[in-house]
Order: sequence, then structure tokens, then C-alpha cells
Amino acid sequence: MRATTISDLARPSLAKGVRLQIDSTTGKSVLLYPEGIVELNETAHEILSRCDGRTLGEIVCKLAEEYEADSNALTADVRDTLSDLQRRKLIEFK
Amino acid sequence: MTVPRPYALLAEITYRCPLHCPYCSNPVTVESAVPSGQQADPTALRTAHATANNGELTTEEWKQVIREAATLGVLQIGFSGGEPLARRDLAELIRAAREAKLYTNLITSGIGLDDDRVRALRDAGLDSIQLSFQSDESSLADEIAGSRAHERKLGVAAKIRAAGIPLSLNFVIHRRNIDRLPQIIDLTEALGAERVELANVQFYGWAFRNRAALLPTRKQVDRARDIATAAKARLAGKIDIFYVLPDYYETRPKPCLNGWGQRYLTINPTGNVLPCPTASSAIPALSFENVRTRDLDWIWRESESFNRFRGTEWMPEPCRSCPQREIDFGGCRCQAALLTGNAANTDPVCEFSPNRASVDAVLRDVNSSSDAPRHWTYRTNPTSLAALL
Repeated sequence: MRATTISDLARPSLAKGVRLQIDSTTGKSVLLYPEGIVELNETAHEILSRCDGRTLGEIVCKLAEEYEADSNALTADVRDTLSDLQRRKLIEFK
Repeated sequence: MTVPRPYALLAEITYRCPLHCPYCSNPVTVESAVPSGQQADPTALRTAHATANNGELTTEEWKQVIREAATLGVLQIGFSGGEPLARRDLAELIRAAREAKLYTNLITSGIGLDDDRVRALRDAGLDSIQLSFQSDESSLADEIAGSRAHERKLGVAAKIRAAGIPLSLNFVIHRRNIDRLPQIIDLTEALGAERVELANVQFYGWAFRNRAALLPTRKQVDRARDIATAAKARLAGKIDIFYVLPDYYETRPKPCLNGWGQRYLTINPTGNVLPCPTASSAIPALSFENVRTRDLDWIWRESESFNRFRGTEWMPEPCRSCPQREIDFGGCRCQAALLTGNAANTDPVCEFSPNRASVDAVLRDVNSSSDAPRHWTYRTNPTSLAALL
């Protein structure tokens, strides 16, 4: 259910009060929010750094192009990652 | 031992506060935390400032400490107190924290937050505000705060929303307000907060002194747990509810700080650096370093106070051989000190602690006596931090 509820036209963005930043101690990317810190894996970082008003479909296309990857496989990964972050209220869809 | 990097700094920028909540975790008496070396400070200006500010760190001293914290690895700063709005330089400190790329959170009673100030804090880059409430309506809330604060707080919540700053609410839950949990949750919804902490009082500072009046009964606790669980399910996706259990009623201790000197540090108004905000009052045997005489990196890595309970080497039995030792870290050092007289003991909340009887005796007393509210002592502001200057 979770992976199919997000439409290709949804526009993911960071939720209110959430900041994406590089942790200068580790060089890794982190999400900062009230009273919490989440370290992102590479996939989540690549996706979130492209959440700038684009739709989910556009983000997948962009990633497929940059990494010469199969967009069907990518779509599932992107949906999984985004729905996980949405469940934790770190991103929202417009 | 490998010393980890800290993630979050709690900056207690002042102990001054217009509220007098009887559960405040601030020290009951503030022994001047200013080290004796301060008198020999060659910078006349700095000493003059310190005196003028009642011993509190100056703006420039805080800005320096904030930069040192960021270099050390800190990613988040909470401005707290006392009431942090009592410092007129708060926006300047928030700006300095944002320049150091820290996530900034203001932990406040809201008293003193007018439209201009909200805008100034937002423009300085404040990321989030945690606003405290004492209950859901004025008569009880004001009685708890020892001040006519509730109506003003409602106005402040609206101002924060209007300024677009993410809002969390915090309610300290205790014997006198725990039965109002449904109404408290309703208020959170009505005020449009994104998250709420319903935190049962933990017994340190003023709360330890007022424990008999604040500790809820088992019946109250059971009911509150059900209400919080139901509200969490009902409001999922809308409001994040964090319900903090009253640990005296638990059988395993809380994983305090995720381990001593592992992730968090606190700096108090006079610049003492503490592994935990309540350590200075709860553990008199421990002495703390001050940012006026040592740099933060050294204090975090090398100081006796941060290394005393770091890791698992210090642990006595039953913690030493316990499979939970890397999960709950033996519980809370301050609680061990307050209830057993020795901070190195297992937290007596733990069912395996040889001192669990001390907690059970308190519970027996609370659960066997009448429901009539008992007297508490209101928190008073420290009269002088500068006594030793």
C-alpha cells in the first residue's frame, strides 16, 4: 500500500522545520528537525537534494539520466525512500 | 576509550524566570559556579560585564562557545534557562548559532514574546520554538506557574503560528494536572502545534524537593497512559505526541542522555559545562569545568566530569554484567546520586538495583495516602550568581 500511494505528480519537499545539511564531522548529509537528527544514506541524499519543486516523476527521470539507471527500478526506490520519510513527518507532498 | 562527538548543546543562558513552577529542574540553590580563577581575569571589561550580568556569560562569551561547539561536532542548540527571553541578546545568539550552521530551538515559557520579538527571532534564523504550558486552563495553570501566565501563553502561541515558526508544546505532567490530559491534548490541537511533549515530571532540582506533591498515583498513571496511547493513534500524521513515562513506575531505568558524555552537553548561565543539566545540583561530588578557563574541546574530551561515567568501565554490578548495559547505560547518574547518595550506583528505578526499595517506599507513600493535594514550594529566582565575584 505505502509504495503505490504516492503519485508521479506529487511534489515532495522538506516538512516545516526540517533542514537538510552536510554534517561537517562526517561529510554525510543529515536532516535536522526539532529535537532530532537523522543521518541519510546516499540514496536518500540524492533524492532529497533534488526535491526543489520537481514532481516525483521528474526526480526519477533526472536520477535515471544522471546515473544511466533503469527508471522503473529507480521509481520503486524513490517511492520507498520518500514514503519512509513521509511517515516520519520529515517530508511532505504538495 | 574513543571519545564520541557531541550532537546537541543545551545552552542555559540564564536562570532568571518570571515563572515559579515547583517542578523546575534548575538547581534549588545556585552556588556560584564561577571558578575562583575568574577573579584573576586580566580583562577588566570582561569582569565588569560578568558582574553587570549577575555572573552570566556575556554575549561575546556565548558566541565564542557556540563556535567552539560547532567545531566539536554539535549540530543542534537549544536555548533554554530559566527563561531565555530574559536575555536581550537572544536574537544575536541565535544568529551566531545559525552562522555556525546549528539547528536552533528556543525552549521558552513565552513570557516576554511580543510581535516585534517573534519577528526578530525569526529573522535571526530561529528554526523552532518549544512553548511550555502548565495545564489547559488558567486557574490551575496559573496556580502551578505561580504567575498569571496562561492567557498570555495562548496569545504567544498565536503569534508564533502567525510568524510561521514551527511550534512544539511541552507540558510537564504531575499529580495536579495528569487528570486533565484529554483537555491538554485538545488544547494542543486547538493551538495548531506540530508536536507535543507530555512529559511526566522527573525528580531533580525543585521537583525533587516537591516530590510528595507532584508524584501521581498508580491509578492516575495507568489512566494517562491509555489516554496518551489513544490520542497518538487518533492524531497520527497530524501531531507528533511524545509521552514520557514517570520512571518511578517503571521497572527498567531510562537510557539517560544515551550515555554520559556521548551525545549531549549543557552549559549553564555562568559557563560551567555539564554532561547533564541536573548534574551540578544532583552530584555535588563532581566538579565541573568552565568555558572561561578551558576550551570546550578539552572539557568534552579530557575533563574528569565528562569521563567519570563515560562508557561501561565505571559500572558496578548488577550493571557491569547486565546485557542491557549498552541499552540503558545503568540509567540516570543524577537519580542514583539523589536516591542512594552515590552517582556510580545502578539507577534505583531498575528492578535489579539493590536500592529499588527506596523507590518502592516513595510509591507506597504516595499510593496509600489521601488524594488531597499537598503543599509545594515554589521555585524562586537565584538572588546572586555573582556572589563570589
